[in-house]
Amino acid sequence: MKPSWTKFLPRWEVLAFLAIALFPAFCALVRSVFPVQSTWGNLFGSKLTDLLIYAILALGLNVAVGYTGLLQLGIAAFFGIGVYITGILTVNSYPFQVGFFVSLLSATLGAALFGLILGAPTLRLRGDYLAIVTLGFGEVVKVTLRNLEEITKGTKGLNPIPPPHLPDWLAVVAGWFGFSNKWDLDYRLFFYLSLFILAIVVLLLKNLEHSKLGRSWVAIREDELAASCMGVNVPRAKLAAFAVSAGLAGLAGCLYATKLTNTADPNAYDFNRSIIMLCCIILGGLASIRGTLLGVFLLLGFEYIVSPQIDSWIQDSGILDSAVQWAKSVSPDSNQLANAFARLLTFSNWKFMIFGLALVLMMRFRPEGLLPSSRIQQELRH
Amino acid sequence: MLPLLAVADTAPDWFTFFLQQCINGLTYGALIALIALGYTMVYGIIGLINFAHGDLFMLGTFLALTLISAFGLDTPDASSGAIAVGLLAIFPIAAVFCGALNLAVDRIVYKPLRRAPKLAPLVSAIGVSFIFQNIGLLWKGPADLSVPSLVPRTDFFSDPTLEFTVKDLFLTLTVLPIMFGLTLLVKYTRLGKSMRAVSQNPTAAQLMGIHVERVIGNTFAMGGALAGFASVIYALYINTVGFQIGYINGLYAFTAAVLGGIGNIPGAVLGGLVIGLVRSLGAAYVGARWATAIIFGILIVILIFRPSGLLGERTREKV
Amino acid sequence: MHRIHFWTVWASTAAAACICGCNTSSSTPSGSTTATLRVNPDAPKSGAIRIVSSLPRTGSAKQQSDTIVNGIKMAFDEAEYKVGDFTIEYSDLDDATAAAGQWTAESEAANAKEAANDPNVMVYIGPYNSGAAKTSMPILNNVGLLMISPAVSAVGLTKPGKGEDNEPGVYRPTGKPNFTRVVPADDLQGSYGADWAHQLGIKSAYILDDNQVYGKGLADIFRDRCQELEIEVLGQDSIDEKEQDFKPLMTKIKSTNPDMIYFGGTTQTKGGQICKDMVAAGLNCKLMVPDGCYEAAFIEAAGPENANGRVYATFGGLPPKNQVGKGKEFVEKYQEKYGSMPEAYAIYGYEAGKVALEAIRQAGVKDRAAILGAAFLIKDFDGALGKWSFDENGDTTLKKLSGSIVRDGDFEFVRILGEEKN
Repeated sequence: MKPSWTKFLPRWEVLAFLAIALFPAFCALVRSVFPVQSTWGNLFGSKLTDLLIYAILALGLNVAVGYTGLLQLGIAAFFGIGVYITGILTVNSYPFQVGFFVSLLSATLGAALFGLILGAPTLRLRGDYLAIVTLGFGEVVKVTLRNLEEITKGTKGLNPIPPPHLPDWLAVVAGWFGFSNKWDLDYRLFFYLSLFILAIVVLLLKNLEHSKLGRSWVAIREDELAASCMGVNVPRAKLAAFAVSAGLAGLAGCLYATKLTNTADPNAYDFNRSIIMLCCIILGGLASIRGTLLGVFLLLGFEYIVSPQIDSWIQDSGILDSAVQWAKSVSPDSNQLANAFARLLTFSNWKFMIFGLALVLMMRFRPEGLLPSSRIQQELRH
Repeated sequence: MLPLLAVADTAPDWFTFFLQQCINGLTYGALIALIALGYTMVYGIIGLINFAHGDLFMLGTFLALTLISAFGLDTPDASSGAIAVGLLAIFPIAAVFCGALNLAVDRIVYKPLRRAPKLAPLVSAIGVSFIFQNIGLLWKGPADLSVPSLVPRTDFFSDPTLEFTVKDLFLTLTVLPIMFGLTLLVKYTRLGKSMRAVSQNPTAAQLMGIHVERVIGNTFAMGGALAGFASVIYALYINTVGFQIGYINGLYAFTAAVLGGIGNIPGAVLGGLVIGLVRSLGAAYVGARWATAIIFGILIVILIFRPSGLLGERTREKV
Repeated sequence: MHRIHFWTVWASTAAAACICGCNTSSSTPSGSTTATLRVNPDAPKSGAIRIVSSLPRTGSAKQQSDTIVNGIKMAFDEAEYKVGDFTIEYSDLDDATAAAGQWTAESEAANAKEAANDPNVMVYIGPYNSGAAKTSMPILNNVGLLMISPAVSAVGLTKPGKGEDNEPGVYRPTGKPNFTRVVPADDLQGSYGADWAHQLGIKSAYILDDNQVYGKGLADIFRDRCQELEIEVLGQDSIDEKEQDFKPLMTKIKSTNPDMIYFGGTTQTKGGQICKDMVAAGLNCKLMVPDGCYEAAFIEAAGPENANGRVYATFGGLPPKNQVGKGKEFVEKYQEKYGSMPEAYAIYGYEAGKVALEAIRQAGVKDRAAILGAAFLIKDFDGALGKWSFDENGDTTLKKLSGSIVRDGDFEFVRILGEEKN
């Protein structure tokens, strides 16, 4: 029994949510108090928005891998499908131009449909074989997106995707609060939109966790045979897991593409992205929503925010330049030493080393992740 | 070879074209098969998809490149005798390097996780793969590197449309004995027998007096050594290396292992050859840019209809 | 309990954020930039101006982009980082990642947004790749920020009617162009390349491309010109740049027996490997590559022994060694300063830097619209590349291209292209 006063204090994840949601206000505060540039925090806020979008993707992956125990190695493909559905439905070289909210819905449903298409034939496969099929599927989708130039414009990408168009009344209301309806300049619009959608996804998943479907997913993860003996409709639950997982990935894809204003190049939706997302949820804690969010913020926050920051510090501090100068003075006729220094002193070149070590050490000393769900913890620490 | 030569000189163009694409495919496939063996052996014995294997192979190619310039084989005045001796030295060095590295990774990373759930070593393997890639990046930088062509390309065919060069022969001559040797080793030697025993039931094998950990270590070392061989051949055959080649080649090799029935040695070789053939025939008759999609498409179809691979029935006799 | 928490928190934070947003609306960039689209007489006439460049600083393009950045820095150094009362700050942004090995849309968009959002940024030098330009142009056009590219050459980015139907309007949401380039566009390069092939006596060609904006665009122009010149086009294929080798494709090409292969693409999209595999498949024909392969990294990737005498490269402008006048001065100064020969695009980086300073000088105010307007009015600019002007699309009036052959592991200048037409 918890002491009664904890009821009145917000739980720490609520505090975390508050901290994120108040970030723009914090920036404004800093700007008004300290003599910093008027754009202080904008770049950071925009990158934070990216993290919120990736968090949706990670939560989607968590449905398949965490809840249901289906090792899905092709989540990036569904992300890419969401991106391209959005692209096709909104760019002006196509006649649709349905606007953001319809494309959001279509990307989600479309990706979910592809999830079913992948899920149906793979119901019989288990463990590693399923992992390989999803991996292969991811590659096939990537190559297909790239090669179906008539539809996707290949590596050129679909461009430009217009920003969401707020209904007039909402734009007016937003205007009262100082939002200018200029999506490419005011990061707060995307920031709150993504945060809002992420919050809805989290609430949805929380409910799903305790629903009949959520419990049958866990049952399948624990023991598929036993689950089916207990009357769980295994194929249906698995298909639902595939569809929900892919749908959330498609949703994230739509947000991603709209924020990027184009569909990028299909090569951006490759195995590497799937693996990084998998690392996020494993680092944070499988089957745990807060764990997944923490994993995304740690790993991707490191990749997108911390490591570029350190790089620019190194660049500004002049350490790199002086090292290169020194290398040139040692061996004036060869650039090899100078290049080696430049490589070693670029912090982002160490990124994967750090990721890798983090994964290896986690698996060795805390395989259940940083914020595990209680059930997974019990399983791994029995 | 001789009847083939005779046929080739009289055959119609479409046939020589087809034959040439088969040669291209089989040679590349043999390379993939060598890498696939490392995947399949490790999977067979501890059920781990060793994602780091492709990147181990990549580090091997970097070592080969470094050794080639360290031995001065890339200088124009290196005689062909010196090149031959140098290459003969590079092969065992690369094999030992990759074998030792693979063994060390097993001891440090995977061994403490033997009793953990399956996901733990898999994720560790992904982590090791990241670490290897990063080592490659810091070692040679992000750009592709050219490996000087040291093996001559004298053609065996008189027909100008058909090529089977010394290079191809060199590849075939290196790969085939390794495969046969490995198959014999697994089938007849004491080590091979204990490997099979461990793969079937580690506990029972232990009770029978087999030192299970030593057998697993040997498997990792052998798989790594094969990747080392493959890396030198790859460097000399494809002539371009870069820190990301481990990814696509590892993926192909892994697909080959699954295609043949993962854990099955002849299966891995068959899978590698099939992938090489599909890749080159796909490029020839469908379009170069679809080749990858065809390979993975076939993989998916095979896994759905024959989940244990092409030589699936024999998976009980796995390494 | 939990859900109630969540919604109350949501509502309260949203309200709080909006209130704070209210307070700061005057300081957000959006407020000021709507004004900058009109020439603002109150714009500051002194202070710090930031110029950013966005180039692929990772991967095999690094060698080339290093020298471009050196060129830009030289231009600023000569002006001592000052124009009138303005001080110049320069940031060197990277639009590539090590994992991709080349530019990515994500990085380029992030760079463009960073520049758009910083009111001190007045000029955006870059990008290097045409596909990247497609990504950043609409973003920067919205804020009317001047772009000067030292290398982007795809036709549709500036010229109406030569690319796709909606080009270039689609990149100009405000309707006003903001993109300029100091290199000739590919409509010249592609067709001059075909002309050169024709003069070399080429009767048949096989065309390859990397399926990107730049490479595919060039390959198509080359193909069309070949058809006009009655050079037989035996086939056209796109490669998958993620592949490791192209031997099956080369075997296929060999069976068509062409006189020449044209590759529309860059070193980063495996130009070197194509050259290597041609040799490996026993193809003895020539290979023509565009300026995306005109760099030392290409010869390194192809292997000098494979490229020698086989590779014909077209390039917009003259190679560093053959520069005259101010261009020659630049090359000499560059060598003195950095101790090595610049790559081919370094001089364009230098020129782009000079043009940026000139536009700021002409405008005289720290105002994006004024500087953008001033840039488009630049006429008879006497720079390192000779005397040239920007036309109304932002294209240079320079029309001089050069053709080189690879010999002894280096590009050897052969002739100027496009002087006589047949």
